[in-house]
Amino acid sequence: MGGRIPTRGSRRGQRARGQRARGQRAGGGGQRARGAEGPGAEVAGPAPRGTGAGRARRSRGGGTQEGLGGGELGVEEPATAAVARAMSARNLGTELDLSWISKIQVNQPAVLRRAEQIQARRMVKKEWQAAWLLKAVTFIDLTTLSGDDTSSNVQRLCYKAKYPIREDLLKALNVHDKGLTTAAVCVYPARVCDAVKALKAAGSTIPVASVATGFPAGQTHLKTRLEEIRLAVEDGATEIDVVINRTLVLTGQWEGSDFIKTSTGKETVNATFPVAIVMLRAIRDFFWKTGNKIGFKPAGGIRSAKDSLAWLSLIKEELGDEWLTPELFRIGASTLLSDIERQIYHHVTGRYAAYHDLPMS
Amino acid sequence: MVNMAWLDTQDRHLGHYVNGKWLKPEHRNSVPCRDPITGENLASCPQAQAEDVAAAVEAARTAWENWSGLPGASRAQYLTRLAKMIQKHQRLLWTLESLVTGRAVREVRDRDIPLAQQLLQWHAVQAYTQEETLAGWEPMGVIGLILSPTFSFLEMMWRICPALAVGCTVVVLVPPGSPTPLLLAQLAGELGSFPGILNVINGPASLGPILASQPGVQKVTFCGAVEEGRVLRRTLAGQGAELGLALGAESLLVLTEAADVDSAVEGVVDAAWSDRSAGGLRLLIQESVWDETMRRLQERMARLRGGRGLDGAVDMGARGAAAHDLAQRYVREAQSQGAQVFQAGDVPSVSPFFPPTLVSDLPPASPCTQAEVPWPVVVASPFRTAKEALAVANGTPRGGSASVWSERLGQALELGYGLRVGTVWINAHGLRHPEVPTGGCKESGSSWHGGPDGLYEYLRPSGTPARLPSLSENLNYDTFGLAVPLTLPSGPEIGPSPAAPYGLFIGGRFQAPGARSSRCIQDSKGNLQAYVAEGGAKDIRGAVEAAHQAAPGWVSQPPGARASLLWALASALERRESAFTSALERHGVELKTAKVEVELSARRLRAWGARAQAQGHLLQVAELRGPVLRLREPLGVLAIVCPDEWPLLAFASLLAAALAHGNAVVLVPSGVCPIPALEVCQDMATLLPAGLVNVVTGDRDHLTRCLALHQDVQALWYFGSAQGSQFVEWASAGNLKPVWVNRGRPRAWDQEAQGAGPELGLRAARTKALWLPMGD
Repeated sequence: MGGRIPTRGSRRGQRARGQRARGQRAGGGGQRARGAEGPGAEVAGPAPRGTGAGRARRSRGGGTQEGLGGGELGVEEPATAAVARAMSARNLGTELDLSWISKIQVNQPAVLRRAEQIQARRMVKKEWQAAWLLKAVTFIDLTTLSGDDTSSNVQRLCYKAKYPIREDLLKALNVHDKGLTTAAVCVYPARVCDAVKALKAAGSTIPVASVATGFPAGQTHLKTRLEEIRLAVEDGATEIDVVINRTLVLTGQWEGSDFIKTSTGKETVNATFPVAIVMLRAIRDFFWKTGNKIGFKPAGGIRSAKDSLAWLSLIKEELGDEWLTPELFRIGASTLLSDIERQIYHHVTGRYAAYHDLPMS
Repeated sequence: MVNMAWLDTQDRHLGHYVNGKWLKPEHRNSVPCRDPITGENLASCPQAQAEDVAAAVEAARTAWENWSGLPGASRAQYLTRLAKMIQKHQRLLWTLESLVTGRAVREVRDRDIPLAQQLLQWHAVQAYTQEETLAGWEPMGVIGLILSPTFSFLEMMWRICPALAVGCTVVVLVPPGSPTPLLLAQLAGELGSFPGILNVINGPASLGPILASQPGVQKVTFCGAVEEGRVLRRTLAGQGAELGLALGAESLLVLTEAADVDSAVEGVVDAAWSDRSAGGLRLLIQESVWDETMRRLQERMARLRGGRGLDGAVDMGARGAAAHDLAQRYVREAQSQGAQVFQAGDVPSVSPFFPPTLVSDLPPASPCTQAEVPWPVVVASPFRTAKEALAVANGTPRGGSASVWSERLGQALELGYGLRVGTVWINAHGLRHPEVPTGGCKESGSSWHGGPDGLYEYLRPSGTPARLPSLSENLNYDTFGLAVPLTLPSGPEIGPSPAAPYGLFIGGRFQAPGARSSRCIQDSKGNLQAYVAEGGAKDIRGAVEAAHQAAPGWVSQPPGARASLLWALASALERRESAFTSALERHGVELKTAKVEVELSARRLRAWGARAQAQGHLLQVAELRGPVLRLREPLGVLAIVCPDEWPLLAFASLLAAALAHGNAVVLVPSGVCPIPALEVCQDMATLLPAGLVNVVTGDRDHLTRCLALHQDVQALWYFGSAQGSQFVEWASAGNLKPVWVNRGRPRAWDQEAQGAGPELGLRAARTKALWLPMGD
């Protein structure tokens, strides 16, 4: 499974490309692979049948993103959105040890029960809810992946990424000076140019992520897939979501990654809690075994503010607060942000927002 | 707050709820109902006195006349209406319950209240079909239910639903300061049509004997601590009411190396740290996954949140000062015995709150290992093999519930079948459903709730007379049956020289009694018929040992094999019909009756043999993918003291029912006419495995004493005098074995209902529910 490919021309980029190539070799020949655990768990669990794609992404390169300061946001600190962005270490990989995979036991009914519980057990309300929602905004990969994307709607998306919540609402919560933005914008490779341009015009350093490698099926030649990544990076994408070669996975040939996704978001079943529980437990096991922190991105079907809170509490419960940073956790979503803004509006004003009250993305 | 508003409607002064209205007698000691966390006084509750208890029972008795005579459909309608009533007021119920008990509101709201409604609905269906499915049974009468403070209102619902469904009426004695049962009674009362079917009074459990001795109370069910149950068992010996006990709250979790450890850790959270159960957890972990499990457990514990129960995001509330102190004492004790104690979680460090606690490395012989684990403590200990896990798990006096975590089907089932408990969940913990019977064995008591077993708790075979007290106040438990009467030579032997004395039938052969003395058996004319052995304590010990050795082999026999042996015994009986007939005739039985008795005896053996093949069944539970098996497991070593009347028939009927259900037995045959039973032993010696059936003759009171006080006899049926019955009930408190006594009343053994009815089958085995969730 590839990594999220880093910025153009950097030393880091060279290394990542090398790694990627290694990953492919390992996948093909079973010689060396990195991070067998991540995707392994996904396959060991019920994931592949419905959701199909695991994807890989690299942690953010560069460190150009300005730190937003402030402490860790928890339920105890109402309405102070603050994000500390630290570089998380790259997953340099380990020797492929298939016994890790063969030893994994997953009891489906028990995982389903846990998934049910997690959605009911941490219902935060009032100012705590607002704080959590603002926190959720910082994890969003604001996404548009439509066939009819043009520069105009990409531009709108980028502007929304920079100003995710109406300024007056943020002021009311006293977080207007925290520089709250989404974690990234995510577009097709052909729209990376538009996005980079729009963000630059808005004076923002929000990274641009691009899906690549024959998204969403990944069923194209290795050569064109690599070229696709290269071109996207040349256009200015700093993060690449790679569709893994599921043919290799389903035949037991693993690849490694820095970030794993539940799915492409284009499948019939996308991010579900039971699948996520299995993946998160695999991430934790991998961390305990190797010391490497692998990121996690659920994508597809996360539309409501309530859903996003359940996802945050799931991460907090299964992996802990240290994973609640954009370096290790992203939510791939397009309509989620507007629902969050709607909830914040209601929290601040006590009224339900009309459609035209909130700027569209 | 809606709960405060309700308390205000009572002027913060609760009463008893009797006969469809509030009963607030004057001049009673009142006990404050406090918020367990702040200690704030929420309301005051009067302590009931004997006359309040009497008033409640009187109301229930009057209501019973009407309620029990109603068609099942009307009762079903009432229960459905009550379910709707609960639904309408669920918010009040859950906030009130969480406020006064301190439990996490999440559990009450998402689990208890929906389950309470499901219980009413499921039992409404049972009431509707009662005439058809429970033909031959009738409601017992007034039921007394005693709740201890640690049990939630749900425990009350589990018991009142079946009682009301089958046509009984209920008086619930709740500890003062628990208003939820009162609210439920008010909701039921406000349905109007049947006041008095559900009455709730506040008072300490010490009022239990007064409740039990009220005329009309036919059964008393108690849920609470083991020691309280033991005391109640002793106090209620010989009282009119039958006693059902559901004791202790400790649970068990067996985690094997083939488990999904993360999910099993969630199972531990469900069992001990989620306010779901009232007790603690004993955790057995296979050695090879010990480190991994402990790491995950500790990691998980850190994420638990404790706090005020009404906070919706809290995992664990508080249970008041008493529970806190109990846990504190246990943990200190464990520490002083060298155990490792790990505590974590985001829990306030002030008094009523207690953090999730994991105790490990407890030395196996320390007193803490034997004691019941309190809430919210988990005691972890390692095991090496599945076999060892079974030995450790079954090595405690508790037999409530357990879960087994293993992805290997064979191993999971082996453990599930082998655990001596009432409920086993495979790869889950703490699932409940109205259709699935829940109960226990050993010291967890033998009363059942839920499912068909829960209904039978409140039914008796039609035509059985009401239970009346047969209490003899001056029965001295210390001396009853203590001494063996001496057998002195009683005059010259006349007539033909009697045969050599019969021995005791123990371990498959006739043996001389330990006391080396015999007693003479006279025929109806007063002539000496034979000498039989005078059995004593040592012989009982030997017989119980032999039965224990034979029991595992007999249990593992398939029902078909058991049936064929019983049939073979029946044939042997028929072959020697003339010998049995003449033996009976010598005791004054008419020839015709004697023939009937022999013939019926053989028939009983055959009938139970046939029934052995249809044991247990499968339940399908709505929320669960997968089946729940309702297993009927043998009681183990069952002691039976046969009645004096129908010396052969009663012996054969009881023996057949016991054997068919897989029990090993120790029997004391009829005292006046033991010869037919001993004759049957000669056939059994060649047919049955050695030790499966043991027959001990001698002084009945003495033998009864030995059996009743024997800790390793797992159940006892006694058909004899009223005093003997009272003693058996008193003595059974020792290991809380289930007992069945006749209180000096003869049974019609030749009648199908009393001699071979389903009642025998119910008593001869215990239920175990085995949950098998499926999914891959």
